[in-house]
Amino acid sequence: MLRSSALSLAFGYIALGIIALVLFAAPLWYAWQVTIQEGRIEILQVDAQRLAEVYRREGADGMRSFIDTRVRMQIASERILLLTDESLHPLSGNLPVWPADVPLVPGNYKVRMELGDQGTQMALVHVATLGKYHLLVGRDNALFAPLQTRFWYGLAAAIAVLSIAGLLIGLITRRALMSRVHSIRQTVSAIIHGDLKHRLPTHLNDDELNTLSRTINGMLEQIELLVHGVRNVSNSIAHDLRTPLAELRSRLEELALIRPSPEETFAEVDGAVADVDRVIRIFDALLRLAEIDAGMRRSGFVPLDISDLTANAVEFYAPAAELRNIDLASHSEGALTVSGDPVLLAQALSNLIDNALKFAPENGAVNVTVRNRFDGTVEVSVSDNGPGISDSEKSKVMERFYRGDASRGTPGVGLGLSLAQAVAKLHGSTLELSDQNPGLRVAFSLPLEEAQTAAHAAAPQKSAAAEQAVPATVASG
Amino acid sequence: MKILLVEDNERVSQFVVKGLQEAGHTVDHAGNGRDGMFLAASEPYDVIIMDRMLPGEIDGLAIIEVLRKAGKRTPILILSALSEVDDRIRGLRSGGDDYLTKPFAFGELLARLDALHRRAQGVNAEAPLTVGDLHMDPLTRKVTRGSRPIALQPREFKLLEYLMRHAGQVVTRTMLLENVWDYHFDPQTNVVDVHISKLRQKIDAEFERPLLRTVRNAGYTVTTDE
Repeated sequence: MLRSSALSLAFGYIALGIIALVLFAAPLWYAWQVTIQEGRIEILQVDAQRLAEVYRREGADGMRSFIDTRVRMQIASERILLLTDESLHPLSGNLPVWPADVPLVPGNYKVRMELGDQGTQMALVHVATLGKYHLLVGRDNALFAPLQTRFWYGLAAAIAVLSIAGLLIGLITRRALMSRVHSIRQTVSAIIHGDLKHRLPTHLNDDELNTLSRTINGMLEQIELLVHGVRNVSNSIAHDLRTPLAELRSRLEELALIRPSPEETFAEVDGAVADVDRVIRIFDALLRLAEIDAGMRRSGFVPLDISDLTANAVEFYAPAAELRNIDLASHSEGALTVSGDPVLLAQALSNLIDNALKFAPENGAVNVTVRNRFDGTVEVSVSDNGPGISDSEKSKVMERFYRGDASRGTPGVGLGLSLAQAVAKLHGSTLELSDQNPGLRVAFSLPLEEAQTAAHAAAPQKSAAAEQAVPATVASG
Repeated sequence: MKILLVEDNERVSQFVVKGLQEAGHTVDHAGNGRDGMFLAASEPYDVIIMDRMLPGEIDGLAIIEVLRKAGKRTPILILSALSEVDDRIRGLRSGGDDYLTKPFAFGELLARLDALHRRAQGVNAEAPLTVGDLHMDPLTRKVTRGSRPIALQPREFKLLEYLMRHAGQVVTRTMLLENVWDYHFDPQTNVVDVHISKLRQKIDAEFERPLLRTVRNAGYTVTTDE
């Protein structure tokens, strides 16, 4: 319990409080003592002078009777008076005998002496020599004793209150802290046991623990999302690899059962290898997707000319378009430098063009356009004049392995659009699907490089004038 | 070719060693990093096939780095189950010359080994290329077959140049994608085949003997052999 942070903090504060109190009281005490002593010595000296005056005027007898009168009248109960002759024989006053501690040398002394009914007291005395007589004038400290006592009691009480209150506050804080730490610990152990839905309790106020709890909750949110994503992907993998694996298995099993001629066997083995290749291809695509989703590819970002990359992709697909008499053309406004991952962008573009070519009708058209939006981004779009996608299907086509009605019977595993979407996301954008009437237009945007943004903002007319369609290929026939 | 295979998986090793021997190569096999390092450093090989992840304290990339620092320039093909783009870049940066992801088709491995070996023998980028009666001058960018000039688009020229530089060898679709288009992904379509058939139209269509041939289950080759 002593190792609790709240308690050790409380102890620290208590010690600090006591030190502050003592530091405050000590000079006060000292100043008080000095002031009182000085004042009293002055009074004693005045007293002694007055007595010396009486002695000078009226002689020893006069002084004796003066002292007697004052003692009798008890003018001041705290006053000590004694007059002795040279052999220290008391002549007058309220002390029975010259105190042993007080020397006969004139001066001021602080001594402890026996004072009749009041017992032993500290007293301040002034000694003077008048002719052959010794005079002692003094005052005891009885009057100030209660004040002093009260001072000490006050200090002690302050320290006691400070200690108890500090300890109490420490204990209360510790309890509150322990209860919150306990609830956090419960949540965390629930999470450790696999239930990622739990969140740390948070309050409206913004203390340190709350801020920490909120940050941790944010982290948990992200972890849950990731785990969910991983689960989804593994479910999809399990589902979509099962089909080709099942085909492969039955093919091999049939081979073992039927034992056909070597010719047929080789053909079947080739088929089996193709099945395996299909599995590997799905696997690779999924791994690539996972890699992009995890955001690990941001390290591959470099400045690149998106117009050039697009033109290359269009050129790559040109012969395939030609085969089906599709007019595949790229349009750009000259070099536009964006920040991106060239490998992934090429792959995303090739997926989009591949899709568009699949759905465009014979003698149709596919247009790939790079356009500066003059808001710091470049839009890349691929449009076809195929059947398009109904609104209800638009959200589904981005899902992994989804294959629309129109794509039945075409090659592909249904990951093209989700990969393009993942690449767009990695570049801070998202795939926008819109209707071309007829056809589908898929677009995403990329951030322009800083320098390019400034240059184009300065001269937008110029680059607009430079806009021209660059047909990558002319449909033959 | 004299080839060193550093690979710990027995199944894969057996398959590769057998395949390479059948293709007429001499193969040494090391099952762990230490043996691999020893053999690679002491024997003269034409090509080394290096598995990236090896048991024991030395992994494939470390061996490559040591060999390169020691001045060994033997071409090395890295074999790896790590397929991410960054892994590939890291592998090539460590001193490897090519990178092949497991699982792989044997034809792909063989074609890449041939290409590596050919590259290591030193090529004159400016020297004219000739296969049969097909000529290419990389400097003037003129292509002729027999006496007839052939007009090629820039990409077709690059494609044919790559094929002719590897004349007599099998070149896979992936190799073409990587070297002609610089595409390090699988476009999942037969676009490369379409490019090839277009090229074939230009160089072979009107001639009796075709030079650009398809190798079943592997890729393409430009050759005069029957």
